[in-house]
Amino acid sequence: MIYLKDIRKSFNQQPVLKGINLKVGKGEVVAILGPSGSGKTTLLRCLNFLDKPDEGIVQVGDVQVKTKKATKREILSLRRQSAMVFQHYNLFAHKTVLENVMEGLIVTKKYKKTDAKRESELMLKKVGLEDKHHHYPSQLSGGQQQRVGIARALALNPQVILFDEPTSALDPELVGEVLSVIKTIAQEGITMVIVTHEMSFAREVSDRVLFMDGGVIVEEGSPLEIFNAPKEERTRQFLNRISRDIPIPYLEEKAN
Amino acid sequence: MGKSFDPSLIVNFVPTLIHYLGVTLQILAASVSLGMILGITAAILRVFRIPILNQFVILYISFIRGTPILIQLFLVFYGLPAILLFINIDISRMEALYFVIITYALSNGAHFAEIFRGAIKAVDHGQTEAAYSVGMNNGQSFRRIVLPQAIRIAFPNIANAIIGSLKDTSLAFTIGVMDMMGRGETLIAATAHGLEVYLSLSIIYYAVVLLFEKIFRLYENRINRHQAVNVSAAG
Repeated sequence: MIYLKDIRKSFNQQPVLKGINLKVGKGEVVAILGPSGSGKTTLLRCLNFLDKPDEGIVQVGDVQVKTKKATKREILSLRRQSAMVFQHYNLFAHKTVLENVMEGLIVTKKYKKTDAKRESELMLKKVGLEDKHHHYPSQLSGGQQQRVGIARALALNPQVILFDEPTSALDPELVGEVLSVIKTIAQEGITMVIVTHEMSFAREVSDRVLFMDGGVIVEEGSPLEIFNAPKEERTRQFLNRISRDIPIPYLEEKAN
Repeated sequence: MGKSFDPSLIVNFVPTLIHYLGVTLQILAASVSLGMILGITAAILRVFRIPILNQFVILYISFIRGTPILIQLFLVFYGLPAILLFINIDISRMEALYFVIITYALSNGAHFAEIFRGAIKAVDHGQTEAAYSVGMNNGQSFRRIVLPQAIRIAFPNIANAIIGSLKDTSLAFTIGVMDMMGRGETLIAATAHGLEVYLSLSIIYYAVVLLFEKIFRLYENRINRHQAVNVSAAG
């Protein structure tokens, strides 16, 4: 479903990704963890060319793009394989909730308006916002806005959904509603790549966890392997540092 | 200097002058519409840094902003026919009104361009990225996501610029256009009651500006209904 070969990316001569190779199978849910500045968000953004890699091959679904020779048309069709949920939601501020979800269907998928509306209403129901169709993003809480973002991504029926720290900008009490929506759709067999700082969520929802640091994938494995028996020293250090923030029940569970 | 002040004349002058308001509004409407097209185009050339044209636009805007509109008017009135004569087009018989419209369109265009450029940049870039992520190309995301919001952001400043431009049209009489001001000048020549004419003119201009402000404010409230500040409890 996703195939990355030797992805490299620098910002102002500062290497951020130093050769990433990755395969993600259909229906797989992959969580990417790592300290800030490790390149995880950049990696995600390279998957739909919001950041153009300097080198390497990106394939999502059937579309393969060789970075050096990427044409506008190739980038566009690559982007149409995936959908993204952003840290800061990035909803279209001048459009209602319903219009936000319909927009992609009408413009890029060429749906008729009535079909797009029906599809979008279905998606909004799925994220529990069937009563907010005609609200503008500024009238919603962060959690509600992010759920619109998820509905907008889902509606496109993409091969892959990319989540870029979907709960990092939320008030703590709103994190739960967003995570539970993501968990629900993860169970439907959609391929997902999730950059997150929510360790217990990553453990629960993902099939595979990648730990990144310094622009490389340091370690990967099942959540059980990564959280309970990390092989690499750097992974251990990171998890130890993070675990201070993890609630006691989780630590107790880990101890048992 | 003129005859003694007679306020009752204002009652006669206002209806005579208001008859020519149409010409003023015609100049304004034409120059604002053309200026809008020019301004958005120039702003796009600036924002996307289109080579050569970008530099040309910078020069154009800085010239318009750096010279008085009266001089621009004379430059167009005398200069444009001279330039066009080089390529064998004779426009020396063209009505003065069109020179006024061209000048004000150029002037409005430059001012609108700067306003739009700021407004386009003020639209959160994350929304452009979101547009790309749902598969839109550059043109689609600009037209459907950025531009509508930029126009809303630009609107209050555009409204001010339009009101400024309305008042600037009062210079059109200097090249012989018979607008309200032009008619006023002929009234003064005929009656020698200058003060009454200028008072009548200020009453009309002031009333029109107040009306414009009212309309703009209503429209602004309407287009900003998606912003939290203007949302009523009913939502």
